[in-house]
Amino acid sequence: MTDDDGEPSPDVSREVAVAGVLALVLVASAALAPMLVDARPAYEIPVDYQPDAGDLAAADGAAWDEVPAAAVPLSSAGAGVPNADDTTVDEARVEVARTNERLYVRLSWRDGTRDVNDTGIREFGDALAVQLPVNQSERPPIAMGSTDNMVNVWYWSASAGTEELLAGGPGSTTEFEDGSLATNATHEDGRWHVVFSRPLETDRANATTISTERDMDVALAVWNGSNMERSGQKATSEWYYLALGPDTGGPPYQAILWTVAGIAIVFTTLITVEGVRRTRGE
Amino acid sequence: MSQTDDGDGDVPIADGVEHQVAMVMDLNKCIGCQTCTIACKTNWTESGGREYMYWNNVETKPGSGYPRDWEEMGGGWDDDGTERTPGDLPEKEEYGRAWDFNHEAIMYEGSDEPLRPMENADWGPNWDEDEGAGEFPNSYYFYLPRICNHCTHPSCVEACPRSAIYKREEDGIVLVDQDRCRGYRYCVEGCPYKKVFYNAQQKTSEKCIFCYPRIEGEGPDGEVKPPSCAEDCPPQLRHVGFLDDEDGPIHKLVNEYEVAVRLHPEYRTEPNVYYIPPFAPPQTSESGETLDAERIPRDYLEELFGQQVNEALNTINRERDRVRRGEESELMEILQTVNTDDQYRLEVFDDD
Repeated sequence: MTDDDGEPSPDVSREVAVAGVLALVLVASAALAPMLVDARPAYEIPVDYQPDAGDLAAADGAAWDEVPAAAVPLSSAGAGVPNADDTTVDEARVEVARTNERLYVRLSWRDGTRDVNDTGIREFGDALAVQLPVNQSERPPIAMGSTDNMVNVWYWSASAGTEELLAGGPGSTTEFEDGSLATNATHEDGRWHVVFSRPLETDRANATTISTERDMDVALAVWNGSNMERSGQKATSEWYYLALGPDTGGPPYQAILWTVAGIAIVFTTLITVEGVRRTRGE
Repeated sequence: MSQTDDGDGDVPIADGVEHQVAMVMDLNKCIGCQTCTIACKTNWTESGGREYMYWNNVETKPGSGYPRDWEEMGGGWDDDGTERTPGDLPEKEEYGRAWDFNHEAIMYEGSDEPLRPMENADWGPNWDEDEGAGEFPNSYYFYLPRICNHCTHPSCVEACPRSAIYKREEDGIVLVDQDRCRGYRYCVEGCPYKKVFYNAQQKTSEKCIFCYPRIEGEGPDGEVKPPSCAEDCPPQLRHVGFLDDEDGPIHKLVNEYEVAVRLHPEYRTEPNVYYIPPFAPPQTSESGETLDAERIPRDYLEELFGQQVNEALNTINRERDRVRRGEESELMEILQTVNTDDQYRLEVFDDD
């Protein structure tokens, strides 16, 4: 950036201008980036409070438009059944809303085949399950809990309907006799949308009470019927959690990191520009 | 489940099972009348999603069987008997659909059409009846009645991730707990004999129950009876009892004389239904002379019943010769008994 004779270049003023613009861009991105990217802690699924249920119970309800979505990766559960690793769904979108009385969980995933029949011997329905701990005190084993740390499973099948299940380990699911789970499902443009809803409170033995005082673990499973997926041949998530507890109010850690990084980059750039100038003896 | 338990007696039965029901079917007596099939169907599978099921069927061998080509559908265990072999779920068409006939039109509406299925019928149970194999004048076939084998080492039981299908402790009958079953059908594909059936209406799997209410004497008259397929058989080809009843004919036929053999022992599920292998008239020449050659090829019988079939046939031949010479043969007496108390021994362990 210097002439052959070493004289200062008229470009210097432009350099300063460029550095200034760069600094502005970085500061702006430090402030805005958290809003553009997913600013949530890993494994968090936000819970949107709505004073009125509106049409949350409908899988295509307009009330869902305002609810933030979390993308949850799925992979084969690796259970001990034939073809356990052959699953076809690798992501589900989860939206959660609550009123003062009910929790609504809307899940959607890509499945180009709408499998609603199991009347043939080789036919299986598409299905979905949401797993919640019975007690929030200790996280149960991901594979259907255990005998001393049981789970509730909200199960919906396109061919067989809805079941509220209790499980204490693989192969132990048992339907609650007095389930209070409601579902609604649609299949549009190659995607299933399914809403589960249940009252927050329950006095049924071993049914999960949904507290709004603290976060709650949740895991998902999806079956593609036309791939003959059933039982342990399923695509499952790791444990996530529903952010039901009170918001801590502080900025998310990603925003802090972005800000620190932005300031550091601007600072380094300015030092470098200044250093170059001094080297030239300005 | 471990395969065998030599605990109390000398007869190996499944671990955790007190006694093991067993059946011996003498294929030389089967006339293919399907009375057993209908007896079973009338009792258990007439309706409610079971229309296509034949817990008892009689198929012509050689032949495709029921469901069609079931022997090529996999299931069972590997050669060590330790790892399950994957199996396929049959299509509904491979069992054959339950056809609707034009009975109404013919019986009540005066139609003069022939009696026939109201839809295109191109396969069904027993479709290839009496076709068999071989060339005239030495064509051959025989009938093979089949029920669930209530195996000692059942791959259907091992296949269920929920333990919904199990061997009953008191007598080793394999049953599906209808409350536990969630219709996954791993038992259907895991059974190499394809004797577990999916009921799409109930959304559970179902199967032969060895007529357990009958052998428990739970009928209206309170009497212990053999399974319907056995009792209703016109030629009375079945023995029913317990494998570990060492005074009974089944033990003698299976373990002492070794003339009752398992169907497809290579599946390694250790069936508790055994067969007296079939004899056929010898081959004849074009001019009708009797030849000194067996009509049913030995290698075909070996394919069905394993190498043991040879010794079984030899033993029966030997004992037949004894009778021809005017000597006594306990084996031939057992096989020819007309005493149903000998044939059906189901109360021997009642005092246990």
